[in-house]
Parts: sequence; C-alpha cells; structure tokens
Amino acid sequence: MGGRNGARVAGDAGAARVGDALRLRGVTRRFGTVTALDEVDFALAPGEIHGLLGENGAGKTTLARVAAGILAPDAGRVEIGGQPLGNGGVGAARALGVAMVHQHFSLVPRFTGFENVALFNAAAWTRRGTSRPGYRERVEARAGELGLAVELDVPVGRLGVVERQRVEILKALMGETRVLLLDEPTAVLAPQEVEGLFAVLRKVARAGAGIVLVAHKLDEVLAAADRVTVLRRGRWVMTRAAAEVSARELAEAMVGARVDVHGRGAAAGAGREDAPDAGASVRGDGSAVVAELREVTVTGGGALPLRGVSMQVRRGEILGVAGVGGNGQRTLAAVLAGMRQPDSGEVQRPGEVGWIPQDRTHEGLVNEFTITENVAFALHGRADHRRGPWLDWAGVEETAAVLVRDMDVRADSPATSAAVLSGGNQQKVVAGRELLRSGELLVAESPTRGLDVKATVAVRGRIAELARSGERPPGVVLISADLDEILELSDRIAVMVRGRLIPVPHEDHNPTAIGELMLSAGGRGGPPGSAESPTP
Amino acid sequence: MNRVLAAAMPAWPRIRPAATAIAALLATIAITATLLAIGGYPPGDVFAALARGAFGTWDRFVSVTLVRTTPLLLTGLAVALAFRARVWNIGAEGQLYAGALAGVAVALFLPFQSAAVLIPATLFIAAVAGALWASVPAAMKTVMGVGEVITTLLMNFVALFLAQFLVQGPLREARGVFNQTDEIPAGAQLPTLIPETRLHVGFLIGIAVAVALWLYLTRTAGGFRMRAVGASVRAAEVSGRFSARPVIWLAFVTSGAIAGLAGWIQVAGVTHRMYEGLSPGWGYSAIAVALLARLNPIAVIVTAIVFGVLSAGGGAMQRDAGVPDVWVRGIEALVILAVLAVDRGVQTLAGRGSRG
Repeated sequence: MGGRNGARVAGDAGAARVGDALRLRGVTRRFGTVTALDEVDFALAPGEIHGLLGENGAGKTTLARVAAGILAPDAGRVEIGGQPLGNGGVGAARALGVAMVHQHFSLVPRFTGFENVALFNAAAWTRRGTSRPGYRERVEARAGELGLAVELDVPVGRLGVVERQRVEILKALMGETRVLLLDEPTAVLAPQEVEGLFAVLRKVARAGAGIVLVAHKLDEVLAAADRVTVLRRGRWVMTRAAAEVSARELAEAMVGARVDVHGRGAAAGAGREDAPDAGASVRGDGSAVVAELREVTVTGGGALPLRGVSMQVRRGEILGVAGVGGNGQRTLAAVLAGMRQPDSGEVQRPGEVGWIPQDRTHEGLVNEFTITENVAFALHGRADHRRGPWLDWAGVEETAAVLVRDMDVRADSPATSAAVLSGGNQQKVVAGRELLRSGELLVAESPTRGLDVKATVAVRGRIAELARSGERPPGVVLISADLDEILELSDRIAVMVRGRLIPVPHEDHNPTAIGELMLSAGGRGGPPGSAESPTP
Repeated sequence: MNRVLAAAMPAWPRIRPAATAIAALLATIAITATLLAIGGYPPGDVFAALARGAFGTWDRFVSVTLVRTTPLLLTGLAVALAFRARVWNIGAEGQLYAGALAGVAVALFLPFQSAAVLIPATLFIAAVAGALWASVPAAMKTVMGVGEVITTLLMNFVALFLAQFLVQGPLREARGVFNQTDEIPAGAQLPTLIPETRLHVGFLIGIAVAVALWLYLTRTAGGFRMRAVGASVRAAEVSGRFSARPVIWLAFVTSGAIAGLAGWIQVAGVTHRMYEGLSPGWGYSAIAVALLARLNPIAVIVTAIVFGVLSAGGGAMQRDAGVPDVWVRGIEALVILAVLAVDRGVQTLAGRGSRG
C-alpha cells in the first residue's frame, strides 16, 4: 500500500547522506481486531525534522512506539541507522540511539530534574551502581549546548508542564541520539513556547539526529519540518517536502478526501431500488422529522461543549456530520441519544434512539459476552422481553439469531462470544442492536473506525441500505471525521467546528470546501490565532 | 489462539472455568506435596490424615466438614457477588462480625422466645447489619470515589474491635467470667438439619442463597445489568443505557448482607454465644473460595466444601502427621496464587495478553 514514493528522500539534506536514520519497512501492528498500522513504510533521514500527521487513531503514536521498540511489529521490519531492531525492545532501540519524548511524560514526580535525567541514562552510573562523578557537569553542559533552560534541583512534580518537557527532552538527548521521537510535544505548549521548542529541535537536527515530530497542528508542522508524512486509518498516505505542500493538501490527505472519487451513489442507489417511493415522499413532508435540535447548548460536565446547535433529521435521510475529532461530536451524539441534557435549547427526539458509539470495544460491546448477551443491552428493559424480573433469554436469543442473519454477521450462532468476531462483524452486531432499540433515529459515530477495507464497505453499505429501505426507514446521523465516508453516504452534510454545527450547501459537497470548513474557525486542525470567517 | 481453541473444542468456553479451577487445585496439591516433602513430612501420610479428618466417617463429614463449610459458603457467596459487579469487597470479615453482633443483641434483648419470631427476626437483622456495614464503603466509593479495597479492609478492624469492646463490656455474660455473651435463647438457635449430627439449617440457607444468586445473575434483567457493570461500566452505560451506580450499590450491600448472615448463622447454629475471635478469618478465606469458583455461585458450593475439607482435615493433619495447622492457612494462600497464575496462563495462551 505505502511506499510508492515514501522512500524518496526529499528536502535540502538529501543528497549527501547515505543511510537512513530510521527506516520502517512494511510495518503492520494490530491491537486485537484493530489494525493500527497497515504495511507502513517510513524513512527518516539524518538531520531532518520529519512531521508525522494524521487524525486521532491514524496510527501516529503507534508508529513512534514501534520505532522506539516499545511495541513489536506484527509484520515488517524496523531499522535504525541501517541496523535491524530485533525483538530487543526499548533497550535495544535505546542502544541504537533512539530516544522518545512521550505525550504523557515519563518522569518520577518526586525526583529532581537531575535525578530523572540520571535515572534514564546508564552513563550516569558506574558498574557498581554508584553515581558517576562528573555526570552532573555533563548534564549542565549538554543543557547549555542545547540552549535548554532546565531546572535541575527541584522535584519535577513541582515544575510546570513546559519545564517538565525540557527535563524530558534533556533526558532523551543525554546519550548518543540518532533518532528523536516526539509524540505531540506541542500539545501542551503556548505558541511562543512552541517556537522555543523548535529552536532546540533545529539545533539537535543540525547535529545530525533525525527527528520525528508527531502532531496534528498543520501550520506548526509546516513551520518546523523538512518533510511531512500523513497517515490515515493506519496506512501511509503521502510523504512530501514541507516546502512543496500546502496546509489544505495535508488536511485533505488527513481526512481522506480524494477528489477523484465520487463514491456517492453506488451504495446509496442499491438501497433505493428496494423502496422507490418511501424516501422521496417523506422528504417533502415536514411531519417526517424524527429529531430536531433548536439552539442546543451544552457546557461543562467534562464534555466538549455544544454552542447553539440546531438541526433536523428526517426519516429516510442520512445527515453527515463532518469534523476533526474533538469538536463536540461526542456531546452531540449523547444529546441525541438522550444520555445528556442540554443546558439550554430544545431537543425533540424519539423515546429510544439507536447509538453506535465510536469506541466499539469498550462502549459498544462487552467482549466476554456472547452475541445474545450483547444484544440484550437493548432489550433488558423492554416489556416484550421480560416476565417480571426475569429476562426472557429464549426470546432474546431468537431476536439475536434474526439479527445475525439480517445483518449478515459471520458467526456460528448467537451464543458465539463477541471476542472471537472480527471488527466488522462486531460492528454489525452493534448496528443491528441499535436498530432494535429504535427504528426512528440512528446515530452512527465513526462507524468504520478501525475496520479493514472490506468491513468498511460492508458497514457503509448496511447504513446506506437501512436509511433507504423499508416502509419507515430511520433517520440517520452519521458522525465521522472521514470525508470519504461522509460524502459517500450523506444526503445532507454539516460540519462541526468548536461546538458549532455549520450546514454545508449542496453545491459545496466536495472535499475541498468541506475540508476548508473543518479547519476553519480555529478547529483543532487549525492555528489558534488564524480564525477565518467560515464559508457559509 | 482463542479462536483455534474454540474451533477445536466447541465446549471450551463453557468448561474453561472448571478446567482452570481444577488445574489450580492440582498445582496447589503438587506444590504442597513438594513443600511437605522438603519439610520432612511424607506427603502421602499427610494427605491421608487430611482425608481421614475430613471424610473419615459420615458423622465427621457432616458434623465437622459441612459445619465448617457453612460460613465459608456464605462469605464466599458474598465475595463472589460483589466481585461479579467488580466491587472489590475485602470486608466480608467485618460484615460477618456486624451481622453476628446485631443478631446476638436482638436475640438477647428482644422479649420474644418463640422460634417462629426470633429466627426470622434475627436473620433479617443480621443481614441488615451486614448491609449497613458495607454501605459505608459503598457510599465512599460511589459518592467520593474512594477505592473500596482499602475502606472495606479497614472496616474489618473497626468491626473486630467493636466486637471485642462489646463482649468485654455491654454484652458480656452475666457471670462475668469470660469475654463472651450469654447463651442466646433456645428460640433463636438454628435447628439441626440432619438428626444426630451437628449440621444446622444454616447450611441449607447457604445452598438456597447460592441457587438464588445463580438464578439472579443468569436469568434476571437485574443480574444481567450487574454482570454488565462488572464487565465494563462504560459499555453498561453507553450500550445498556443505565446508570452503574445503583447497580454497584446493590451488589455492595447485598454482599454485605450475605456476609452478615454468615456471622449470625455461625452463632445461632454452632457457638450459641458471641465471643472475640468468632471467625478464624472466613471473610478472607472467602476470597479464595470465590476466586477458585470463578465467581460462579453454584461452584462456590463446591469450593466452599473444598476449603471446609481443608479446615476439618487440618486438625487431623496436625494430630496424626504432626504437620502444624498453619500449613493449612498456607495452602489456602497457595490456592489463590495458583488460581491467579493459572488464569493468567490460560489467558496468555489464548492470546488475550498480546495487547501492548
């Protein structure tokens, strides 16, 4: 999949150098049924800063952790400076000169900065385990060299986050460093501090180390990096010289808009043939609205806020809600599902709402339960599956058997444990169950995240079919960061940015316009200061 | 690998708990035998003595082994229920004392003598006392988010010292010789279950509670919710659309109530008095009983008997084979370690431990 031009070493530093500082060849890494990295090739030249971009869950952190030896790849190879990183793990990677600065720092809060640096570096100790004389001076000298103002004598628990990051970086750079991996280092920094960090990184790169900068802020990456690689859904998408690529191109690559693809219609058309009239007739009829939000605002309570969201969902349509993750989509789903009351505004919704939650394995299913038991989540309170306190398990099992057949779940029987199902089949169980809950409204939150291509096609086809077939098809709200998915399935599209829902007019149903909207108004993908007025 | 196992043996998911438990027991026996041999005790003789002590005669089995099984059965059920909801109630010992104290107090001071009133009343009050004792850590968990492992454990010491204080002071026997209460009235004593033996009705109550819990967990909607909360609070709340908090409360206080019953049933069925050190640590052995049973209430009946056998045979081991009684406590601890180790071993084999 990857590697078509991933091996090309671009940028100013390419010509003179021979080997790569870091090289991943066809690396695949799975977590259970989720493929976090899918045959990814990646090359890091010595002396370059290489930005690694992607949506949440695209595989950026997994790539960094594989390179650091923290995770072993299921397939493929990792080479550091031309030498294969075997199964030695972190120790072997460290010996080859790989250092990683984690997003959540790995420092001992009670230890001082110096103690933390010493703890991580074998050079601080003699063979007998006593502290090596003169190490303190070396640490101070290195900090001076890098221009890092590090507080060495205060327990790091008392330091601010910026100072802690400096300790973490110094700790990583004390040894011979060939590859420095930084996982979202700018996430905790203010803009001025980001510039300071980049100055340090440039110094380190000039000294010959290759740096991988994991981030999702486009402009920052473009400012600091020599080259940029984009991952999406665990796959390599592109590697380009930073000077030759625009923020918009990167954004499109991240969210998966491919201009040459007009997927809309194929799946949708197939469903329509079953019910030629139903879809058309209800759409004109105002009474077919199954859910409506008017000026709904939610703040606090640990959820990302909604600010004055208004929307209508009609029977038999798919309303696509696009947006970079973390702009309030989760809160919107919870409000629609009735799990969260708004602070102000009006909500009109069916009594029961189907909700396919984004985290299938932790929220949508219980792995150690059977399919039947997982289906019971929708039925445990329903009179038709209860006799007093007793749950009618025979009835639940029957319902589950019908679901397995209708949703085309590949399983021996409803008594199969959910743990042995593939990701796609698990998602079909969740989708089928949520439809049992309500035939009126279905909220699908990133329904194909973590699924392989085949399962993605199957689940998308199911959703398209559901909204378009039968006498009374449900209204579907499809929340997804994947523009391909939104464009393929949706009748109407809106974009969620910082808790606001912005409708996208029909003529703008193309990746460029939507991508621009997603990154407008200071959405998480955009710079904090450069909010442009959203295109209506 | 799990898939491979499941394909090769269709019944594997169902028999896995039993297989794990038996493997754990066998591992325990093997380790114990080795340790005994190293300690200079012939393992064959020791196990023979243990078996004689536990099953030597019908009367020995019923009057000693099953009588000692009863408090282990009830506390084991209490722990199993709580653990099913992922409530780590380590406080069965304290809840047992709370139940015993409340039962004794009511039996001694209520002006009724009739068994028809006293037995149900004292059983009820003991369950309530156990539930109340558990409600303190339950409230701290659900309202303040304080971990229940430490709170339930500490509540055990409070209960233990409260019991000491009461039997040395306000509830001390009228003659004032020993630190114990007066004998409870005959109407409060539990009748024997099998004539000519010492086995009392409490054993039957334990079996009934086990069956009731099993039916609740496997057949009812409420039991389904409790298992769901135990498996994943987030899945319960998002997929099941119910709040986990009341479920956690129910599991916690019901667990306490059953442990409370265990304490009072021991007094009403066996000792007929409350004294310091009523329990040799049943509330803790209960954790091993429940874990070995893989938290299945029906299986708790079996594992409680296994531990009853250990307890009854321990004395004979000491007498006939000269093995100190502390070995029995050691074996109990080994069972817990073996269950955990075997369980993890099976999981790793099944490939579930592969998540980074």
